[in-house]
Amino acid sequence: MATRHKVPGRAPTVAPNEKARVVRTTDSPNCTGACGWLATVVDDVIVDLKPAADYPCQEYNPRGCLRGMSMTHIIYGPDRVHKPLIRAGERGENKWREVGWDEVLDYIADHMKRISKDHGPESMLLFNQVVGTGYVQKGAQVRAAALLGMSFATAYDFNGDISMGFTQTVGIDCVECETRSWAHCKTAILWSSNIFQTRIPDAKFLTTHAKQRNNCQIISIDPRASQTAKGADLWLPVNPGTDGALALSMCQVVLKEGHVDWAFLQKFSDVCTLIRQDTGERLRASDVGEGTEAEFMVWDEGKDALYKLPMDSLKLPEDAKFAFRGQRTVQLSDGAKVSVTPVFELLENEILRDEYAPEHVAKTCDIPADTIRQVAIRYATERPSSIIIGMGVNHRLHGDLTIRAILLLASLVGAHGKPGESVSIYSGQHHFRLDVSPWWFPDGKRPNGVPMHYFVLGQPTGTMNPKIKFPKDGFKALFVSHANPLVTEFSAPMKDAIDRLDLFVVTDFSMTPTCEYADVVLPAPTFWEKLDLVGTSCHPYLQIQQEVVKPQYESRTEMWVQKELLKRIDPELAKQMDYTEEDAIEIMLKGGGKEVEGITLEMLQKGPVRLNVHDPECGLDEQLHEDKLFPPRAYPFPEGAQREFLKTGRMEFYKEEEIYQKMGETVPTYHWAFEHLPVSAQEMPLAIVTPHSKWRVHSTHCNNPFLRNLNRKPVVEINPKDAAMRGIKDGEAVEVFNEFGSYELWALVTEAIKPGVVCVDHGWWDRYLGAGKYHSVHTYQKVKPTHEVYYLPAVYAPGQHWKDTRVDIRRVK
Amino acid sequence: MLIDLTRCIGCDACTLACKQENGTPYDTFFARVLNVEAGTYPDVKRVYIPVLCNHCDDAPCLKSCPNKAIVRRPDGIVLVDQDRCRGTGACVSACPYGNIILHREEEGWYLDENEAYEKDFVKLRMKENVARKCTYCAHRVDQGLQPACVVACPTTARIFGDLEDPESDVSTYIEEQKEQTGRSPFHLLPEAETKPAGCYLGTMAEQRPSTLGQSDGIGDAKQEEAQRTQRGQK
Repeated sequence: MATRHKVPGRAPTVAPNEKARVVRTTDSPNCTGACGWLATVVDDVIVDLKPAADYPCQEYNPRGCLRGMSMTHIIYGPDRVHKPLIRAGERGENKWREVGWDEVLDYIADHMKRISKDHGPESMLLFNQVVGTGYVQKGAQVRAAALLGMSFATAYDFNGDISMGFTQTVGIDCVECETRSWAHCKTAILWSSNIFQTRIPDAKFLTTHAKQRNNCQIISIDPRASQTAKGADLWLPVNPGTDGALALSMCQVVLKEGHVDWAFLQKFSDVCTLIRQDTGERLRASDVGEGTEAEFMVWDEGKDALYKLPMDSLKLPEDAKFAFRGQRTVQLSDGAKVSVTPVFELLENEILRDEYAPEHVAKTCDIPADTIRQVAIRYATERPSSIIIGMGVNHRLHGDLTIRAILLLASLVGAHGKPGESVSIYSGQHHFRLDVSPWWFPDGKRPNGVPMHYFVLGQPTGTMNPKIKFPKDGFKALFVSHANPLVTEFSAPMKDAIDRLDLFVVTDFSMTPTCEYADVVLPAPTFWEKLDLVGTSCHPYLQIQQEVVKPQYESRTEMWVQKELLKRIDPELAKQMDYTEEDAIEIMLKGGGKEVEGITLEMLQKGPVRLNVHDPECGLDEQLHEDKLFPPRAYPFPEGAQREFLKTGRMEFYKEEEIYQKMGETVPTYHWAFEHLPVSAQEMPLAIVTPHSKWRVHSTHCNNPFLRNLNRKPVVEINPKDAAMRGIKDGEAVEVFNEFGSYELWALVTEAIKPGVVCVDHGWWDRYLGAGKYHSVHTYQKVKPTHEVYYLPAVYAPGQHWKDTRVDIRRVK
Repeated sequence: MLIDLTRCIGCDACTLACKQENGTPYDTFFARVLNVEAGTYPDVKRVYIPVLCNHCDDAPCLKSCPNKAIVRRPDGIVLVDQDRCRGTGACVSACPYGNIILHREEEGWYLDENEAYEKDFVKLRMKENVARKCTYCAHRVDQGLQPACVVACPTTARIFGDLEDPESDVSTYIEEQKEQTGRSPFHLLPEAETKPAGCYLGTMAEQRPSTLGQSDGIGDAKQEEAQRTQRGQK
């Protein structure tokens, strides 16, 4: 909108509006894109948006998508919260009293003081999405929670985006290469990943760059021909929830066909460590009097003796030749003799089972055996090869097992850590690209971490990690910020949990269904109205978000709100919040670690600055190129915090803890995704997939009038066979249901989905449905006990299994 | 404008960039992306075809207008003059591509009527009940800028420039692709004989999507090489 003249005009346009100023900023609505934008502002109104296209690495230009381009219609949109609101009716009745900031802050502070006195500060819970999208403002909320001693539930694990399969194997919840690295691929497997919709600015690295450079073959594994199928060379419409079997079958193929990279495995994985037959645990140096319990033994075939793995580096002697197979008897320091077996042999016994033969898996997955072989061999031989995992694999109770199997496949052939070679899961803008601790945790003081699962369940599970401090009287107050949990699958039990609270405060810029259920709603500025610091895993640039226009209506930044609240609760503590946004950025840049060494606020004000990381960033770079022990460090936790769940310091394909042994999950194995459901649920005829929509970022933009003009109605995609069986015609109103509930929407009968599967894109607000509650149709809520053995917020914590839901569908009469 | 269909991922960034730039009302899209599904499960294909005014050399809309409201600038851009247009709709019927839009009812908008964004910056540029279409962002071109949909395309599938200038980006790209991939640009609906300025590059042999079970499902490098050479020779 560079002109105020009528468009089009016959005469050439005159010079641009002199009053216009152009601001460079970053959008970060949790799509992980973190794209740079140029906003044209006239009279404090944003009148135009264009991609900034100013990344020093030209290949990244331009970044942006339809959602960023439509931000004006959220900023000035119909659902903006203009003023602080206090509930004037029952919860959810949507009756409000508009109040001033003084009144609302006094109201909240009084409640907080009372709750803290009666039940302890840890009975007040902060839940904000998604902390990686803004280190300063969302950090201010965490900082205040830490100062007050409140509880803090990281959103990432409750969202189910935490990838426990990665944590179990590499000690960190996800690994992501920078997307520019895709350009080197010769084979790319998109395992339920729909990058044409979810990684719009990055898709070109595969579809254009890798195609041109390497004639890259793109293989899409997905029960529906998602938008990405357009660019795929091969589409494998896998039976939903059987991906684990497919991965293990591919492992069997590469093993049998001799495509194993032994050197890679010996150096970077645990497969040569020895498992004691008597305990099922690893043979430690302390067992044989060679060292400590934190050191592990392998069998050196060259020396025909035990060898202690170094724990200061992954570097091995050049003549190292460890045993991969063979049961041996070793003498323990107490004189007893035990039989030990290398992990590899246990893995091999599992992988080579008939159950994983391509002919057998062909039936399980509904993929021809030859195709499984071809894909596995292509992956192993036509290098560089990458796998990008999507949430269809991860949002399952046994998603961790599937991911462990996929990581095993990649490790068998050594496809990690080079340009175009990685297993990546872009699970959200969650990873911190620098250590935010100096800003978030004043004097190292952290809030009480509690997974949101236990809040929703209302009580701890019997297997909850003892490190977690569940408040003695349960939770009494919940502060939700920039999150819409009543538009997620477990919204019904979430509502029950909220009903038990004394105080429920929601901070947001849109009047979401979650806001409508609140006691107090605080109007927030959008990402275009406040200063913040932004990093993402898609690209290695650190950027700032600018106050392009001042906070609209009566909204106030999170920083301001936290300062004002603390002043009212404890003026002494409030002194520790007495910082500006610029101060916070400088604090983080100063103490943020080697990634940000030398980066200053001044540099960021000029444009995006590349972090001090490998170029290109391939994932696991420090381990694979610098021989640093696994895991990569998970900010904001101190070095060593992850060691307890990755004791060997190598990729672990064997988990020795008792619960893994009890559940038969020591090595990657296959469980049918729905096996944990009661028979009645298993018998529901249709699996449902709930992918991201290009029209939204989760539930954000659902109400964007610009985008709604194109995306008018929620639809359920259904194969003509399934539709015909139920007498459903294209466009008809239908009801999706299961034992938990139902909702109405419209049928889209399409050949692009596998029979037996239906698809509804996630994030619809209920008001757009024909009837019912979108998320009333869900599955049994549970926590996998293996996810509770350790607890490190958002790194080792319970995930989710939204996609294990089964449903049926009928015409609305 | 050239659109390389192998690059397009159907993301609609162009659609929205156009709306942001041109401030078009509800249901008015100068740039659209057609999302086509073809085939029967499991042999299914998806195709995205971005469409917009083709700025034809022999534009039927221009000839059809009884009020001489449609003009071609010397640089080839075809414009509807909002002041001269009386909303007869003749051009809408004449355009074989369906890329001219005329709303006879009251215009629909997106935001609250008091929001400055629309009230002060968008609506005043629009005259009601007249024909509208893509201008190739003539106002930007006049400032030496590229059209909004071009700068916003995250896959750089749109290449804009003067087809008659052999040095222009678009001519260079066409030449390069002819050499490297054997592809030549084509027009939509050539039978309409309107000499469109908008053209497309199609799918490459090795990018034909296939599903399981087909013998050519997975890359046989030699076979592809042969296919490419064959296409190049054609």
